[in-house]
Amino acid sequence: MEEIEVKKSRIPNIKDIVNYKDFFGEYPLIFLIKIISSLALIYVITEFYNYHNPVDSLITKYVKKSLPGFIPNSKIFVLWGFIAGFVLYIFTLFKGKYKFLILFLTIILVGQYISDPALDWKVGEYVIPSKVGEEGAEKWAWKPIKILYDDKEGSEKRIDDATIRASNLIFGSVPFLGGYGIWKRKGWAIAASVGLAIIIGFLYTPNSCLENFDSSYCGYETESKEKTWEEYLAGGVFIGLGLVIYIELSYAAIKYENYAEQFKPAGLDASLLTDAQKKGVSRTLMTLFVSYLINLGVMLIITFAVAEIVININDYLSQSDGRIQDSIELNGPYGIVFTSLIFFMILGFIRMFVGADYQTEKN
Amino acid sequence: MWSKKAAAVAGGALFLTLAGLIRLNYLFISAGMVMLTFVVLSSFLDVWMPNVKIRRETSSDNIFEDGDMNVRFIVKNRGLGIGFVEIYDQLPPQARITKGSNYTLLYMRPWQEVSFEYSLKLPLRGHYHLGPVKLRVKDAFDLFYNEKIEESLHSFSVFPQIEVLEEQVIKSRAPKLLSGAMPLNVIGAGTEFYSLREFVPGDSLRSVNWKALAKKGKMMVNETVREDVMDVILLVDAREVSAVGGGKDTPLEMSCRAAATYAKQLLDERNNVALMVYGETVERVDLDRGEHHLFKILTSLSSAKPQGNLKLEIVLKDTLPYIPSGSPIILFSSLDDDHTISEAFTNTISRGYTITTVSPSSLDFEERMKRIPAQPLLIARIERDNLISEIRSFGMQVGDWKSDEAVNTALQGG
Repeated sequence: MEEIEVKKSRIPNIKDIVNYKDFFGEYPLIFLIKIISSLALIYVITEFYNYHNPVDSLITKYVKKSLPGFIPNSKIFVLWGFIAGFVLYIFTLFKGKYKFLILFLTIILVGQYISDPALDWKVGEYVIPSKVGEEGAEKWAWKPIKILYDDKEGSEKRIDDATIRASNLIFGSVPFLGGYGIWKRKGWAIAASVGLAIIIGFLYTPNSCLENFDSSYCGYETESKEKTWEEYLAGGVFIGLGLVIYIELSYAAIKYENYAEQFKPAGLDASLLTDAQKKGVSRTLMTLFVSYLINLGVMLIITFAVAEIVININDYLSQSDGRIQDSIELNGPYGIVFTSLIFFMILGFIRMFVGADYQTEKN
Repeated sequence: MWSKKAAAVAGGALFLTLAGLIRLNYLFISAGMVMLTFVVLSSFLDVWMPNVKIRRETSSDNIFEDGDMNVRFIVKNRGLGIGFVEIYDQLPPQARITKGSNYTLLYMRPWQEVSFEYSLKLPLRGHYHLGPVKLRVKDAFDLFYNEKIEESLHSFSVFPQIEVLEEQVIKSRAPKLLSGAMPLNVIGAGTEFYSLREFVPGDSLRSVNWKALAKKGKMMVNETVREDVMDVILLVDAREVSAVGGGKDTPLEMSCRAAATYAKQLLDERNNVALMVYGETVERVDLDRGEHHLFKILTSLSSAKPQGNLKLEIVLKDTLPYIPSGSPIILFSSLDDDHTISEAFTNTISRGYTITTVSPSSLDFEERMKRIPAQPLLIARIERDNLISEIRSFGMQVGDWKSDEAVNTALQGG
């Protein structure tokens, strides 16, 4: 009996090219959490830059000196920063040689894009070697392709353009790291994105752009009217809540994926699970996630209410009778922080007498 | 307790607040306050401590070295608490998990019973225990957690590995009343051929060697070696010096493996076996036989620890009065750091005992660890060879056992 030779297909399996399962995950719920978390990130960063105009940042002041075309625009870099982080994550999904191939192609394409205006390709008469000359005195000739370096300016423009686009990542690093962290499930990237946002906010000085550059660059004619502290406080509350949502949901994606691992029967890979087992894990995850969302929702409402009280408590004290209202600091930021810390101290004191710690000791 | 996440969020919030104060940035102050409020309020969430009952079901009570033990960990919530519980069943540091995990995260409901399984392997003999169990409970946001240690222990022993011996290794000269499978150096009823002799009236016709009759023309009968039960004494050297090397490659570990293997075979052949482990003191398991006795011997071998420096002469002087005369003694020792060996052998042999020695060479381990320079190592080897030759000159069997050889070969060439 003849042996039937099974020929191996030349077309590689999609699984060998890209780890697409990592993108969708084993459970749709985790995929959904990642999407919600990404939206929360984009919202919070956009809102953050609404209050911290990047052109008023100390960063812009110094970067613009070495990069005159630098114009940070939050409408551009927030979304594109996130997309860049997401694309980096997609890139990491490719396997082995395909990853290298994509990197290689990207370098080639960028190189081609930049060099295209400067290089003029002249194709010779005989690209393929052929016999030329009079009969009897024929000889082999080969005219190579000639590359002329002429329009240098065009290339330089493209380099400048690419540099300015890339420079948006200075401010876009927050959504870039956040996007990468959420999808790649990297805690350090999520933490770094929050840390960078804080640093960028720290370097912001209202209306500082007009002190260094003209109004056409800054985008506003005269010094914009300073927002009232009530407006800032209200904005800060929402940004704070946004940060909490972003941190919580991005960590939730990581956490629930770890839970899904734990819920598997010992020693079994996900691919070995039966449909019923998978459904079981999905159900458990759904139950947990719903209870988590309820917890988060309730906590956010309580946090919002308590934060409003905490932030405005000094306002109430400053209007109360007695000598305390004479304090100049009480109406300012120091007053807010001072009264808030007293409030937290009282909460901490109450915490000593409730909860599991105390019960454990008693037991 | 605070988790890393809580510390990071609270730290970030404080930084925001302070940075807001320095830069007079109200947005920072309020954002920081919101985050701080979130952390403080989360600490009030019901961080419950579960009231649980833990039990373990194992595939066997005891295992042999490199054997697998399957553990089913069952935990029951005996309270009304609900939430996530991380469970970590502490294992001996030598244990290797081959399947599953000793850690899990469970969502516990009131009165719920849940279980998980794992398998572990232990490469070294000894007495171990599973547990205690660490329980960790977190709030919904993983900001705060409580830990509790449940003193739920499951003890078990890892016995030295037993190999199958291909042939009988020792012979005694002291017959007993009960017949067994151990050949003695005397003629008697048995199965192993000893010699041929002429037929005398009274011999059974079944023992006639018909081939010899045809060859010699006269009736010849087969004589066999008498098989009997014996009292065998296993003497294991567990002095401090027997711990040279590391892991399974020490003279003591090898001695324990060999002693376990010999004990198994001797007991299977219905002999009486006693075990003496000497180091700091002499630990004894008295003469007896049967499966239960093997268990006692294996347990005692599992407990052997390298300590003390009792010399062989003293050990034998103390124990010989209690050993039945003529009983074979099997000594498992690297023969290191004991100047009384020759004296001990002379005294013992003169009193009618035989000593078979199985000697794992500690010099191989020293060489592997490169602790001794080449020249002194060479001298040590010569000294060891001399000692072995001296013992052999007494007419006793000595097996110079190399570390990578099986127990079967321990007495070969002796």
